[in-house]
Amino acid sequence: MTKPHGLIFHTFSGLKKDPLGMAGFVLVSIILLLTIFAPWLAPYDPLDINVHNRLSSPSAAHWLGTDQLGRDILSRVLFGGQVALKVSLIAISVSMAIGLVLGMLAGLGPRWLDRILVILFDTVRSFPTIMFALAIVALTGPSLNTVIGVIIITSIPVYARVVRTQTRALRERDFILAERAMGASTGRILRDHVLPNIAAPLFILASMDVPAVVGMEAGLSFLGLGVSPPTPSWGSILNDGYSYLRNSPWPLIAGGIPLIAVTLGFTFFGESLRDIFDPKLRRKDQ
Amino acid sequence: MSTVLTVRDLRVRYTVSRGFVDVVHGVSLDINRGETTAIVGESGSGKTTLAMALCGLVPVYGGEVCFDGEQLKRDRRNRLSPDRKRVALMFQDPLGSLNPRMTIRKALAEPFRIHRTGSQDPDGEALRLLAMVGLGDDFADRYPHQLSGGQARRVGVARALALRPDILIADEPTAGLDVSIQGEVLNLLSRLQQEMGLGILMITHNLNVVRHVADQMAIMYLGRFIEQGNSQQIFSQPRHPYTAALLSANPSPDPNAQSGQIELLGDVPSLLQRPSGCEFHTRCPRAQARCRSSFPDLTTSTGKQQFNCFFPMGE
Amino acid sequence: MNPPVLDIRGLSINYQTAIGPLQALRDVNLVVPEGKIIGIVGESGCGKSTLISAIIRLLAPNAQIGQGSVCFKGEDLLSLSPEQMRSLRGDKISMVFQDPMTSLNPVLTIGRQMSDVQYRSKSSRADKKARSVMMLERVGIPDPDTQLQRYPHHLSGGMRQRVAIAMALMAEPALLIADEPTTALDATLEVQIIHRLKELQREFGCSILFISHHLGVIAELCDEVVVMYAGEVVESGSLREVFINPKHPYTQKLLECDPARIAQPTRELPVIEGSLPDLLNLPDGCIFRERCSKATARCGTEQPLLSGDHHQAACHLLEPSP
Repeated sequence: MTKPHGLIFHTFSGLKKDPLGMAGFVLVSIILLLTIFAPWLAPYDPLDINVHNRLSSPSAAHWLGTDQLGRDILSRVLFGGQVALKVSLIAISVSMAIGLVLGMLAGLGPRWLDRILVILFDTVRSFPTIMFALAIVALTGPSLNTVIGVIIITSIPVYARVVRTQTRALRERDFILAERAMGASTGRILRDHVLPNIAAPLFILASMDVPAVVGMEAGLSFLGLGVSPPTPSWGSILNDGYSYLRNSPWPLIAGGIPLIAVTLGFTFFGESLRDIFDPKLRRKDQ
Repeated sequence: MSTVLTVRDLRVRYTVSRGFVDVVHGVSLDINRGETTAIVGESGSGKTTLAMALCGLVPVYGGEVCFDGEQLKRDRRNRLSPDRKRVALMFQDPLGSLNPRMTIRKALAEPFRIHRTGSQDPDGEALRLLAMVGLGDDFADRYPHQLSGGQARRVGVARALALRPDILIADEPTAGLDVSIQGEVLNLLSRLQQEMGLGILMITHNLNVVRHVADQMAIMYLGRFIEQGNSQQIFSQPRHPYTAALLSANPSPDPNAQSGQIELLGDVPSLLQRPSGCEFHTRCPRAQARCRSSFPDLTTSTGKQQFNCFFPMGE
Repeated sequence: MNPPVLDIRGLSINYQTAIGPLQALRDVNLVVPEGKIIGIVGESGCGKSTLISAIIRLLAPNAQIGQGSVCFKGEDLLSLSPEQMRSLRGDKISMVFQDPMTSLNPVLTIGRQMSDVQYRSKSSRADKKARSVMMLERVGIPDPDTQLQRYPHHLSGGMRQRVAIAMALMAEPALLIADEPTTALDATLEVQIIHRLKELQREFGCSILFISHHLGVIAELCDEVVVMYAGEVVESGSLREVFINPKHPYTQKLLECDPARIAQPTRELPVIEGSLPDLLNLPDGCIFRERCSKATARCGTEQPLLSGDHHQAACHLLEPSP
């Protein structure tokens, strides 16, 4: 089977031609590696309090300085990355899966189902995310799982709408009609013909969604609606940094940099992927 | 000559905001094994809809269709349910009818997978099919966008004939093909027709091709057949004025040929407002008062040539 | 004698690809005299799109003009600046495309587009509108005032193409380039549009370069014809000369293959054996050798040149034996 091999090869040859995309890919890879290996890379326990050394500037011992409780910021940033990774992985995969199913149902199913689902999607999307989060937190109390839940619920309509539009466009394409003319069942058509043709845009959407999700988690945690102290999260680091800005700018900078890096990296990478996998931009010999 | 498909008074109606349109308005024909029947007409005449209706892709409003003597039932959405192994459809756009993300090998194996015809080796079948249409094994691993128009067309033929159907419905099989390639595709279809005893229903607006490959033909206007019968007879002696106009509209590549084109007046009327009486009277150079008020009955002349006209050509 | 409207000499164009240069056009010569209709006949891959793109200077970025000149009324278009070229397009040189939706903006009314095309003219809005109405009448569109307010999707394919022709002729260009304008239309519409074009050409006196692979339409419309194959001109001459007495084996085969020309109905239609040569890897000698039934040894080594006076063809078999 030459296909998976071809896919990776195709991706890399495309990335080689796009320096920005390549840079994005490198950045993303670095962030992922640092995050996954945080427990081994972090010099200190992120929860280790050392009040004597609070709010110190970067030094040889503490590369990014310490926060208001004397905890090593670098270690907290690395472990905060784990939180971001966990949230994005779970939130995006769950909302993408549910969005995929709902979107295909809306796109290919009967009209009445489509109408109901669209109204559902629009209703959910019409709530401002923060208000929504506040409402849920009021019911369940702040926690990381709440954050993940809120992000999932507000993201499902986004994926579902994209899938629905793509599915509806595909529905009228000749090759789908040809399959129906051959007697293929709807399930087969969805699995073998619709899915492969919408999977690529979906994954690209997902990769460009990572910064948004990470940002949402950071924002919610910043407001105190997410992780509870002392768990480090980029958002809570930013929150602490904001409170102690006059004492030391380093917590703020340290919390902000990874967010910027993730946003830039995934955006460049995602856009490059989109161009690589656009069949219209493909040459005839590829 | 055995008749494999019988169509009687087929109708396809779409409801639109302003009323309804009868895209296919009472069509009757027979398709026989080993014979090619061509349906010609301008865009909007309803010929593609007719093909889709026969394949069960659009709902049918009225009429009966019998396959091998047995009447075809309709499903919940009023679409016909022919045996998909025995009726195959070839689409107008050869590249568009192939999944852009599937290799040719997989695309050709589809009919076998869908119908689970007990073939143990769908891949092997795919190669056999490629050989049948004159394409080498190396085409199996290509993607549709790597094929030329003619090659994609042949893959379409291979896929349609994979399960050895009784009928092939070909929608504009020569559209978009260079003249030197048209011959290849048509010769291929002819050969396979002879080998398999295939009945071919060809939808086309290319009259030059019809003259050579069709045994029977039917001319469609506003969803109806206005003339049908043996194609050679119709070409030599068209009875309906529309047929005569269509045949004369063919510019000949012979610079010496006289251009005796019959120009039709005006545009094709909208299906929402069908003209009264004989629907062609708005454009017919021979129209008279009678044509506006009543619809001409079916006339059958010698040799089973049928048409609906009060003042046919040659009288 | 006025200089020809278009005089192309020795035009060669390559496309740079990752696997090497693709020789799309090789040493193409073409003359469009004033007030004449010239047809280009060729199948896919013959280079007609490249040729047209070269004339209007809208080639793809990886195209390289090797050598040659494209003279429009004596001026080499290849040496003009982009601004100079732009002032010619739509004014002195116009185009009609195969798909009228390409030249018509789906979100603007016909009237708006037809006025926009007249942007160079200093006349008033009312005058522009009147001229639009007049052009629509000329191309045979009924009730032109109403049509001006409609959008392209309200019109049928044939009507859209007529609007496209009206827009192209609005500025009374010296050269109209029509790229397969009737290929997507039914035969009856094709005939109507061809007749209109002929009338309009006589009225406006412009020259037309008409590209098509539909031989019947070329025969109906053109005064002279050029036959292209795989990037070269293989035959040219007056319409009657080429179609009645084709000299090049490709032209002969092409005419043989046209089902309209075959008097006796047959189930075994003629074809041209073989396939197009690889433009990345040109064969030696004559470009048509692999598919030619009359090829000799010389055809495999030496490239034939165009020979003849007005009716020219590039074939060794035409040259008198030494």
